[in-house]
Amino acid sequence: MGSLVLKDLAIHYDRQVVVEDFNLAIGEGEMAALLGPSGAGKTTILKAVAGLLAPTRGDILIDGRAVNTLPPEKRDVVMVFQKPLLFPFMNVAQNIAFGLKMRGDGSERRRTAVSRILELTRLEGLGGRKVHALSGGQQQRVALARALVLEPAVLLMDEPLSNLDANLRQEMRELILSIQSELKITTLFVTHDQSEALMMAQRLALLLGGRLRQAGTPQDLFHRPADPEVARFFGGGNFFKGRLQGGVFECALGRLPVSAASGNGHVRTATIRPEDIQLTLDAAGRPGGLAGRVVRTRFEGTATRAWIECDVHEVMVLTAAGELTLGQEVRLHFPPEKIRVFPEDKASE
Amino acid sequence: MKRSGRFSAAATILAAVGLPFATLGLWSLADRWFFPGLLPQSWGLRAWSYILTSAGGQVVNALWQSVAVAAVTAAAAVLVALPAARALGLYEFRGKDPLSVLLTLPIIVPPLSVAMGLHLWFIRMGLAETFIGVVAVHLTFCLPYAVFVLWGVFANYNPDFESQARSLGASRPAVWLRVMLPMIMPGIVVAGLFAFLLSWSQYLSTLIIGGGRLITLPVLLFALMGSGDRPVAAAVSLVFVMPAFVALLFSARHLGGRSLAGVR
Amino acid sequence: MDRAETGVDARTRRGTGGMPLAMLLLPALAVTVLLFGGGLALGVLQALGYLPGAGLTRLTGAHFIRVLSDPDFFLSFGITLYVSVVSTLLAAGISVIAALVLDRLAGQYRPVHFIFQLPLTVPHLVIAVAVMFLLAPAGLLARIAVAVGLIQTPAEFPLLVNDRWSVGIILTYVWKEIPFITLMLLAVLRNTGRDLIDVGRTLKASAWQRFRHITLPTLFPALGAASLIVFAYTFGAFEVPYLLGRTHPMTLPVRAYKDYSDIDLMARPEGIATGLLIALVVAAAVVIAQALTRAARRRGIVI
Ligand SMILES: Nc1ncnc2c1ncn2[C@@H]1O[C@H](COP(=O)(O)OP(=O)(O)O)[C@@H](O)[C@H]1O
Ligand SMILES: [Mg+2]
Repeated sequence: MGSLVLKDLAIHYDRQVVVEDFNLAIGEGEMAALLGPSGAGKTTILKAVAGLLAPTRGDILIDGRAVNTLPPEKRDVVMVFQKPLLFPFMNVAQNIAFGLKMRGDGSERRRTAVSRILELTRLEGLGGRKVHALSGGQQQRVALARALVLEPAVLLMDEPLSNLDANLRQEMRELILSIQSELKITTLFVTHDQSEALMMAQRLALLLGGRLRQAGTPQDLFHRPADPEVARFFGGGNFFKGRLQGGVFECALGRLPVSAASGNGHVRTATIRPEDIQLTLDAAGRPGGLAGRVVRTRFEGTATRAWIECDVHEVMVLTAAGELTLGQEVRLHFPPEKIRVFPEDKASE
Repeated sequence: MKRSGRFSAAATILAAVGLPFATLGLWSLADRWFFPGLLPQSWGLRAWSYILTSAGGQVVNALWQSVAVAAVTAAAAVLVALPAARALGLYEFRGKDPLSVLLTLPIIVPPLSVAMGLHLWFIRMGLAETFIGVVAVHLTFCLPYAVFVLWGVFANYNPDFESQARSLGASRPAVWLRVMLPMIMPGIVVAGLFAFLLSWSQYLSTLIIGGGRLITLPVLLFALMGSGDRPVAAAVSLVFVMPAFVALLFSARHLGGRSLAGVR
Repeated sequence: MDRAETGVDARTRRGTGGMPLAMLLLPALAVTVLLFGGGLALGVLQALGYLPGAGLTRLTGAHFIRVLSDPDFFLSFGITLYVSVVSTLLAAGISVIAALVLDRLAGQYRPVHFIFQLPLTVPHLVIAVAVMFLLAPAGLLARIAVAVGLIQTPAEFPLLVNDRWSVGIILTYVWKEIPFITLMLLAVLRNTGRDLIDVGRTLKASAWQRFRHITLPTLFPALGAASLIVFAYTFGAFEVPYLLGRTHPMTLPVRAYKDYSDIDLMARPEGIATGLLIALVVAAAVVIAQALTRAARRRGIVI
């Protein structure tokens, strides 16, 4: 068990800078997710933590001690790779016992540890199987078991669910969560799937283009994104440029009351999530709000996504309100506490 | 690996590979080279001009004979191996294991054991001392390599591409010609190259079936070694490796160079 | 669902889309059965004394008995086995190292990779000739020895061709076979090797443990198969020992051809019998190697 701190990490491949200025602190026993689109540098960061890549700059601290100079085999970190990468010339039990054997554990100890972990990962009875005689989900669980059995201070998982189909994925997700809460191993896992990250992580870091964009609780990132890009990554829409003054955001849609602290009148961007906009059918009539007309809809099961033309602006709304027809007149209400005004937009000044 | 380590590894490989060729090169350019001279006492192109002008163009004829035998053998091996490799690579069927053992068995059985037995039969059928007879015995040993290479190709080949082409309106021959062939072309080239090189270096089976009538380069080279003219033997040896170099250059250019794994 | 339970790979089909499987397999099967099987079968018949052309139609084991009762045969067998085992082991050992080094060189020194492949395409005969010119008593190496003052006359140079220890033959084989084995190993290392090594590192295996428990087992199937092919070739090859070997004892293939091409036609069945015995030894080696592999798998140390 241990804490993991990454400080000012920078990583290059040859000349190409892949990760820069990366900072992250994960507490003991915490489950943290590193979220980012493909190619953002997630695997690269995990490999650096595991010791398979040397960072160009920065420190990797486990339990407060810098481990930069330690080779992977001397670090108390185990990585589970995206592919199961089971040793094809060993059976399931031999695969799982590999790390114990390398560590010099006796065969009796190995046997007990392996049978315990087989049970934990619901692989009972498969110890003698050849690895290519396993399904994809089973292989992934063996890879996980092989790492867990070493009880590392920090467990790293590179997209452990991405090779599984939807049903298996949910099963595996619950398994990982229950094992993690039982063993309390500090875990950093990587995913490109925002809903997976929100569901699994206690702490979440969003990586875009090799840079940390925001770290915090899943609620922080979802409800209080640091900038429009973060908001967009979590499915946000509706970005408006305008000026904040005295509790009112003045933009092309008009004057929207907001609960944000008053600004100094500089240009800023505001957003509101599509599901936070309240849509009323014009006929039902609730006074106030913004008048608009439905221009496009998409039925999504539990809700309908609708694009509403308000003047020259198009606003995206996610609503449970009945069936909408094209051209229908509706009214949109923007709850002031749901409007997020981003800090001043430095790039645009 | 450290820079100096890399450098010495590269230098070792270079020296080890280059030494035999350097030796042959020196000998082929020696006019007089008495012991213990480290280099020839007099240099000359006698050996090389002999190759071009020797009685009736002996060497040049042997070269063409070798090229013809190897090329025909390679073409036949690929043609025969292709359908079998497709069956082995794409389908599961009963008896597949024993069949694949049978088809690849000639890889390990020495040619001489088979050629001796075939000889008498070939004499009966009038195939002994003929081009066809020699190609047939070479084919016996080149075929399993071609099957092996193409089997690997088909094992990684997705026949759904063919179904896709059919559903887009291509006829069966068009599918073979325009979908399958381009996709497995690198494999065909490698298989052909294997078979060519293998046939190219056959000596004893050529001698037994060809009965000394069909003179390929190795047969000629053996005769020259017996005659003791070292410069000429060295020059013919170098001629003997030339097509191989060309093949390697070709494969390096067209196949990324790495595909030669498995050639013997 | 488990793949093992269904036994069918996702991409293997049962229907062939037109041509029956037998039609696809027929040409290759015909060539193999007729030429390869036929050659062996006819060889067996002739070795058993069946020579209808010479009026001999009774089968007899006399030729095999004569071959096997010649004490020289076992000398030949010994020298042949010695040459092929030593050549194979040397080539295999060096190839493991070479494969690891070349894997590390990856990307850099591309020409080295290219040059390393050259021996693959060179006929054994050419290298035998070069080794002859290099190692013979008046060869290049002897001249170098004189130049640096180690010896004065060719007679002082150690015998390295047509010699007791078959140094020239073994050297030729090792030179020829190292790239063959190495490239087979390199293909394995490139495909799965590096990822598995990374896994091993994070699972706390030291450098030696990674080599012993990951690299070697990963390489083993390819190394075994390549070595077996090399053994089979060197055991049954004629050219190199004919050029670089001693006249007594000669290797089995040289002996087989000597008998076969003897002017005395009655020696011919003995040559063929010797050729078949060579094939038998090679086949036995394959069977033994497979049995050993299976035994090793069974005994595989379980956790
Ligand atoms: N071995 C490598 N050499 C050079 N560039 C690499 C290498 N591995 C990854 N990259 C590059 O680094 C970037 C980040 O890769 P990676 O960490 O694998 O992303 P992710 O895991 O987030 O998908 C990508 O642009 C990728 O092309
Ligand atoms: Mg990745």
